Amino acid sequence: MYAFDIERPSSVADAVAALGAEDAQALGGGQTLIPTLKQRLAAPSKLVSLGSVTEMQGVASEGGSIRIGGATNHATVAAQVGGTYPALADLAANIGDPAVRNRGTIGGSLANNDPAACYPAAALASGATIITNKRQIAADEYFQGMFTTALGEGEIITGVLFPVPEQASYQKFVQPASRFALVGVFVAKYSDGVRVAVTGASNEGVQRWSAAEEALSANFSADAVSGLNFPTDDLIADLHGSAEYRAHLVKVMTGRAVVAAS
Amino acid sequence: MDPETGKVRVDRMTAVDDFGNVINPMVVTGQVHGGLGQGIGQALVENTTYDENGQLLSASYMDYTMPRADDLPFYIVDHSKGNPCTHNPLGVKGCGEAGAIGSPPTVVNAVIDALQSGGKNVTHIDMPMTPHRVWSAMNNA
Repeated sequence: MYAFDIERPSSVADAVAALGAEDAQALGGGQTLIPTLKQRLAAPSKLVSLGSVTEMQGVASEGGSIRIGGATNHATVAAQVGGTYPALADLAANIGDPAVRNRGTIGGSLANNDPAACYPAAALASGATIITNKRQIAADEYFQGMFTTALGEGEIITGVLFPVPEQASYQKFVQPASRFALVGVFVAKYSDGVRVAVTGASNEGVQRWSAAEEALSANFSADAVSGLNFPTDDLIADLHGSAEYRAHLVKVMTGRAVVAAS
Repeated sequence: MDPETGKVRVDRMTAVDDFGNVINPMVVTGQVHGGLGQGIGQALVENTTYDENGQLLSASYMDYTMPRADDLPFYIVDHSKGNPCTHNPLGVKGCGEAGAIGSPPTVVNAVIDALQSGGKNVTHIDMPMTPHRVWSAMNNA
C-alpha cells in the first residue's frame, strides 16, 4: 500500500468538495478498493470515505419504490428490505460473507460495476434509477461495460431507487473460489412486462436478455425459456467455465428464478 | 449431483482405519477429518493451473478454490478396531495422511458411479471435478 490521506466528510457537499483534489478517490465499504491498494495497483493521493455521510445511509419506501442510500451496506439491505422486496433482500444476504456484507455498500458495488457482482443485476432487472449528486440515471443508461459506468469525475451515487416488482428472484451459481457469481440471473416481473438481467457471464458486464424478457412477458413460466439459447458472443471463458457452460447456466438460472419468483 | 449444472455435493463420508493403539482418540479423529477435507478438496475443487505462457491463473483465493466448511460433509470416523503395531514399543501407527489418501479416489468413484447410475457412460473425469468438468462429461457421454 502506498501512503495516502483520508477524509471522512459528513455531507455529500463536503464529499464532493474533497473529491476535487487531484487523484482523490471515493471510498465506499472498501471491499474492492482496499485489496487493490494493498496490492499497490492504485495510488490515490486521498481517500474520501463516504461512510460518515448520514444522508446516504438507510432504506426508505417511496410509493411503489424502495430508495436505498448509496452508503448503505449489504447487511442493512438484507435486514430491512425483506418485507417489501424479498428478492433484493435475498440477493444482499448472499453477497460474500458476513464481514463483506457489513462493510460493502450498494453504491460501491454499482460504481465499481464488477462483471460478476450481484447488485448490477438487481438494478438493471428492476429498471432502477441511480441517483447521484448531479442527476438521476436510468439503469439502462448507467451500465456501460465491465467496470464502466455513466458516472463522471466527482460524481457520487447518493442513492438507488428500485421500483418494487410484482414478483422477482435472483439465482446465483457461484464461482467456487471467489463465491462471486459465475452466473447470476435476476428476473423481475412488473405489470408492464418482465425484465431479465444477467451478471457474471459476459465480457460486457451486466446485460439484459431480451429474448427471455419477451418470452416471459408472454408466459411467465420456466417452460417459456427452456427453448431459448443465451447468445455466446463475448461471454467470459476462464478456468471456472467456458462460454458455452456460462450460456447454459444463464438458461438454467433464469428458469429457476422464474420458479422461485415471489 | 445437480444434473443441470454439474455441481457435486458430498452428502456423507465414512472413514475406517487401523491406527494401532490410539493414545488420544479425539486428536486422531481430528487428524482424519483434516485429511478427508484435503482429499475432497483435491477431488472436487483445488486446482493449480497455468496459461500457455506459464502465467499462474489460480494465483489467489479468488481463483484457487480452498475447500471451506460448506464444501464438506459431517464425517463418520471409526478407528476403534486397531491392531497394535509390532514394530514399536507403543503399538501405534501413523494417522497423519490417512484421510487424504483414501478420500480422493473415493470421491471420484462416487461421482462416476452417480453419473453411470443416471445413465451417463462416463468412466473418467480429471480432478478436480469442477461443475464445468462434470457438466462437460455428462454432455459428451
